[in-house]
Amino acid sequence: MKRSLLFCLLWLCIGTTGFAQMTVTGTLTDATDGEPLIGATVLVKDSSTGTVTEFDGSYSLEVPDGNAVLVFSYTGMQTVEEPVGGRTTIDKALSSDAELLEEVVVIGYGSQKRSQITGAVGVVNAEELTDGANVRVDQALQGKAAGVLVTQNSGSPGAAALLRIRGISTINDASPLFIVDGVRVEGIDYLNPNDIETVSVLKDAASAAIYGASAGNGVILITTKGGKFNQVGKVSYEGNFGIQTVGRKLNLLNASEYALIQNEAYVAAGNRPLPEFSNPAALGEGTDWQDAIFGDAPMASQQLAFSGGSETSSYLVSGNYTLQEGIIGADIGENKSRFERYTARFNSNHKLKDWLNIGNRLSYTNFNRNALAENNQFNSPVIRALNIDPVTPVFKNDGTYAYSRYADTDIANPVNAIEQTYNTWTNNRVVGNIFAEIEPIKGLKIRSDYAGDVSFAREDIFLPRFDLSRDTMLSDAPAAEKNLINTVVANRYIWTGWQWENTINYTFNVAARNTFNILLGTTARANRGNVTGASGTNLPNNDPDFAFINNTIDLENRRSFGYVFEGAGSSIFGRILYDFDDRYNITASVRRDGSSRFGPGNRFGIFPAASFGWNITNEDFFNVEQISRAKLRASWGVNGNDRIPDFQFLTVIQPGQNYVFGPTESITNGSTPITASNPDIKWEESTQTNIGLDVELFDGKVELIADYFNKKTIDMLYAVPIPFHVGAEPGIQNIADMVNTGWEFTANHRNRIGKIEYNVGGNVTFTDTEITSLGNGAEPIFTGRIQSANANAIKTDVGLPLAAFWGYQTDGLFQNQAEVDAHAFQNKDTAPGDIRFKDLNNDGVIDSEDQGLLGSALPDVTFGFNAGMKFMGFDIAVGFYGTAGNEIYNNTTRYDFIYVNRPNTVLNRWTGEGTSNSEPRVNIEDPNQNARISDRFIEDGSFLRMRSLELGYNLPAVILQKIRMSKIRAYVQGTNLVTWTNYSGYDPVIGQVNPGQGLEIGIDYGFYPTARGFLVGLQAEF
Amino acid sequence: MTYIKYFPVVMLLLALGCSKDFIEKEPLVGTQETVFYQTEEDAIFAVNSAYAALQFEMSGAGHFRWFWGDIMSDDSTKGGSGPNDVNDLLLLETFAGPTNTDLLESEWRADYTGIYRSNVVLQKVPDIEMDETLKARILGEAKFIRAYFYYQLVTIFGDVPLVLEPLAPSEYQIGRTPKAEVWAAIEQDLREASEVLPFRSGYSAANTGRVTKGAAQAMLLKALLYQQKFGEAQPLAEEIRDSGEYNLSERYEDIFTQEGENGPGSVFEIQYMNASGGNWGYNQQNEGTFTNVFQRARGQFEGFGFNIPTQEFVQEFEPGDPRLRATVFSEGDAMGDRGIFTKEATGGFPHDYYPKKYFNNASEAAPFGDQAPNGLSNDRVIRYADVLLMLAEAAYHNGDEDTARAAVNAVRARARMSATQPVLLPIASTGPNLLQSIYHERRVELGLEGHRFFDLVRQNRAAEVLADEGFTAGVHEVFPVPDSQIQATNGEIVQNPGY
Repeated sequence: MKRSLLFCLLWLCIGTTGFAQMTVTGTLTDATDGEPLIGATVLVKDSSTGTVTEFDGSYSLEVPDGNAVLVFSYTGMQTVEEPVGGRTTIDKALSSDAELLEEVVVIGYGSQKRSQITGAVGVVNAEELTDGANVRVDQALQGKAAGVLVTQNSGSPGAAALLRIRGISTINDASPLFIVDGVRVEGIDYLNPNDIETVSVLKDAASAAIYGASAGNGVILITTKGGKFNQVGKVSYEGNFGIQTVGRKLNLLNASEYALIQNEAYVAAGNRPLPEFSNPAALGEGTDWQDAIFGDAPMASQQLAFSGGSETSSYLVSGNYTLQEGIIGADIGENKSRFERYTARFNSNHKLKDWLNIGNRLSYTNFNRNALAENNQFNSPVIRALNIDPVTPVFKNDGTYAYSRYADTDIANPVNAIEQTYNTWTNNRVVGNIFAEIEPIKGLKIRSDYAGDVSFAREDIFLPRFDLSRDTMLSDAPAAEKNLINTVVANRYIWTGWQWENTINYTFNVAARNTFNILLGTTARANRGNVTGASGTNLPNNDPDFAFINNTIDLENRRSFGYVFEGAGSSIFGRILYDFDDRYNITASVRRDGSSRFGPGNRFGIFPAASFGWNITNEDFFNVEQISRAKLRASWGVNGNDRIPDFQFLTVIQPGQNYVFGPTESITNGSTPITASNPDIKWEESTQTNIGLDVELFDGKVELIADYFNKKTIDMLYAVPIPFHVGAEPGIQNIADMVNTGWEFTANHRNRIGKIEYNVGGNVTFTDTEITSLGNGAEPIFTGRIQSANANAIKTDVGLPLAAFWGYQTDGLFQNQAEVDAHAFQNKDTAPGDIRFKDLNNDGVIDSEDQGLLGSALPDVTFGFNAGMKFMGFDIAVGFYGTAGNEIYNNTTRYDFIYVNRPNTVLNRWTGEGTSNSEPRVNIEDPNQNARISDRFIEDGSFLRMRSLELGYNLPAVILQKIRMSKIRAYVQGTNLVTWTNYSGYDPVIGQVNPGQGLEIGIDYGFYPTARGFLVGLQAEF
Repeated sequence: MTYIKYFPVVMLLLALGCSKDFIEKEPLVGTQETVFYQTEEDAIFAVNSAYAALQFEMSGAGHFRWFWGDIMSDDSTKGGSGPNDVNDLLLLETFAGPTNTDLLESEWRADYTGIYRSNVVLQKVPDIEMDETLKARILGEAKFIRAYFYYQLVTIFGDVPLVLEPLAPSEYQIGRTPKAEVWAAIEQDLREASEVLPFRSGYSAANTGRVTKGAAQAMLLKALLYQQKFGEAQPLAEEIRDSGEYNLSERYEDIFTQEGENGPGSVFEIQYMNASGGNWGYNQQNEGTFTNVFQRARGQFEGFGFNIPTQEFVQEFEPGDPRLRATVFSEGDAMGDRGIFTKEATGGFPHDYYPKKYFNNASEAAPFGDQAPNGLSNDRVIRYADVLLMLAEAAYHNGDEDTARAAVNAVRARARMSATQPVLLPIASTGPNLLQSIYHERRVELGLEGHRFFDLVRQNRAAEVLADEGFTAGVHEVFPVPDSQIQATNGEIVQNPGY
């Protein structure tokens, strides 16, 4: 306890200057468990007199007189002021900060008491963010707040998650706006979840409207941790280590089963079976390609934070190292699938004068990501492992990798493909802001905040030389199994952005019961991206460590490119918060945004909002003892969206439409306006109405929140298809409209029974999304390419749910020729055992007119719930989340190839009348096109996942005292331990291939499954 | 301290004051239209972009000339990794034609992309101050390219919207123009182009690959023949013959080698190279052809195995005709230096033949990017032998059998150069037999070059020859219009009868 002693000595030196007129003694305890608080600060207000509590939580302080006010503070606890009032003994139980945060909610450009909030704002706090092995902040939000859907886009280490607030309300990029410590940032990959104090999700238009044009998809406000004034310096450490494994293995055919099925499929098509498959049983189990690519992967995190504060300055310094290896390729080569991040943060606040505060937030992040091909139906390791035949071994007899004699093109040996992958993405990003705030008169705060966001990234790719041929002279391996000329690619990215924001915020009272807060502000921001890249081929040394372009010897094949893009925005905004007697709250705001993405006539958009709250419990007439708080909220607002490419309002001549002329075949430039411009392009607008009810029962032990929302998005920006005879690519037009409605419910209960403290909570969201217009004469939009059916699986059209699965509907199998003859014509070679497709238009022929709705990738319901308990130093917490009512297109078998392996359900195939009514006969020719897009591949995507389970133990205070620590907690944690789903693939959490392409969802293209993890960790504080 | 409170207010005003200019940005990559189309170089760049559209063959989905000309005919079948590999092509081949296939949609779209780019040239280049001879040539090139694409459209789809200048949004919703008017536009463009374009010999070597007077005349000849305007066709064909620009001096098997590109018998070739770094996708950036990889056998030959020659096609060749070995691979043949053609080496597929004309050697494989799609073979669209055989057909129908026979025999004489034994003796047939000889000669001389289906249609023989494949007269002479285009025009565009 040296520090405490030193601290005491310091105070003694300073403290003796006052008059010691009386002594106050007492004990500080933790309100939740009654344990004494050691090292808590006790100060006499507006003086430098103070002390810290002893091992048993006791203190003794001399105060100038009986009218003094004592300030009790402790890390993680609410600071409490208590007038001495002549007493000599003052015991105090401090409540934890978390409860405080529930009361004050961060909103755009400020914060508000929960009871005064008039919009729909979801809050996730620090302790909820660290409940699982969350490498990224976006993952940590999974299942935590109603209306916030977080979909792991890929299980690969460091992959971004998709965030959708209140479903999808635009056919453009539906990602929310991220504001970190007031700074608009693109992507939150740089944030360390341990550095986050709180996350507010602005869901309704009125809350988000203060961010105007960019807020159409909702806003996520992230506040990072800082030190606190008058706080003893604190050192906290957390370290954990764990192992991840694949959660589930699929049942595929083994070698003998594979040969059996192949033989039957060949014979059915009138071909001779392959001679080497004449005795399938002799082939045995063969290769388990899943075992070959998946492995146990370590993950680890080390965090050290220093925080504290004097009366005039507070600070936090933290450093973190996080490592996550990927479960694919964990045992193959080095660093094939991996994420490694170093973060450093320095946040500080300073009271220079009574009227002047300054401060900063500064973070530096270095992250390295090694990625394999993922979410790709052509060349991802998952697709290859699921489709390559089990007959082929991983290795040849000589120990080199084998290639399949049956597979070609896409389906290469996945182990070799991983081995030959050298992809590194490294980013150095600095995000920071500095601010100054003056308060010339009480309640008037004038603030100027300048922020910068700079990234220097590099992407290095090396495609080594390899050849799996049995005979390299003959070079007998197929193209995907050899690369005879190696290539090196080096791309460099520099992104810079700045934001300058100036606000005036004035809080004042008019008469006793009218409180006003008026906000006026301006924002200017600009960003620029600068990309330069180069490549070269043929390096004599095939070692990736020497993969530099100067080592390439094909000088004529060295290539380079470079381009730049810029954007800028300028806004003014204002807001009035009015509170009448804690009963009525009215909020009105307006923002005018300018964006460089629109032409001169449409550069500016105006986004108004208004909302109203009524605290019924504060009315005199309200007198229900059990209801401690009840509030009705209503809001309306307009948001915008400008997420389109730059310069769509100009006709730009694009170079690079080249042709080849001359005997030496010179590439000769051609230039043309590829895209039809649209000078009239303007903001996409969404108007949202929200009605909500907050109820607190039994003194806050039970909290219930319900919201209804209705969001209409009009003038959606989309490059809607135009007749091809125009010849130009369609320009972006303000074309489509959609409606998104839904309900959100949240319930929380926390209580203490004896020494057991527990909490349970949950949230559920129902959303319904519909396209109401695609413009005059617009065609439906088809997306979601399915290579094995050579067609698109998703249709977006008026009257359909967004991104609906569209295809043929099956009606069992033909059991005999009579059934084939009786049904509509499918194909002249359709035979018993083939799928009967429904003749939806009853014209006697199965053709494209018979396609219909097969399902939707958008869930009807999303939910999350959690529970926790604390007892005698032990704590246990569990978190679940899931979806219901969504479908998945299982596109993991490449039926366009005849040789692929497949799920072992094919063993139950139709082999004669009555043998099966669901699994069709096998035939390499597949004349009936059983592999066409149909509900055969549509599966129920509903799931419930136990996202996290954590068991911790806090050392008791008695022991902590002896070792002079304030906290030691050890924990074990499991992530994604159990998933209940009917989906037959690896993982029902299906992301998007391209996060910007919002209409391509719910198709399993061979997604990198989310790992199951087990962690042990230690937290310590002193 | 009182003045301090005004300081931020001033800052706010400053931020407001500069905001308007601040958000006006200009594109830094790419050129705004308002400053382009000013110089000679701009004019050349503009017309080059129209040429680039000629290379589109996987723009969206595949729409190779040989998809329509060969696979739809009795010369070849689809192939690929199995029936589900580009299944739409199988449906089209068996005339079970889907109306919503992206193959036809991509053809339609690529053709109009070339037309649009040509229209932009024809709209913008006349106002550029530049050398008038060069300007005339560039406009002639654009007219040729526009006519070429309309020829593709009218022969594949029949009536199509006739767009002769860039459309404004209010003009998007238009229907189909009767094909007679489309043909008239094609003829006019090609006549005007052939008046201003230089002969092949009039271009500098660096401009090899640009369209020539001969190309425009030969394209016009094709258009006339398709319309059975034999009277006009014959003198035009003779003019090409007599121009001295083309001859049959090269050996038949050398035509389709890399050295044979733009050879003495080359009238119009689409130029490709193998080192542009292109890859799969909408092939704007790709200067290579996908034909090489699509037509190569699977297995160790690393191709996709499309366009499998039929037995019937192979049997059409006269015994000992050396052109057979230059046109198809048979089992046991060396496929370049990639190995010997066996069933096992080709991935276990039962095919007895593979196409050879667009085969390239492993030693010529592309050095950069995805090797497979970046093929180097130029697409031989019009060869001099084709011109001679068109002359023969026109002359026959005009009663000029001597000219017809001479033209056929010239083609046979060249083929004979490659034979070691006396084969392909001159024909002496007359009357209907002469016509059959001309048809036979066309089929073997131009086999697997994308002509057969369209020849059968224009010769009114498709119903008879393709009956087994499901061809119905009065329907399948043209392919269905893509459904998407009917929808996109709110039904202004209507479907072809029978689909």
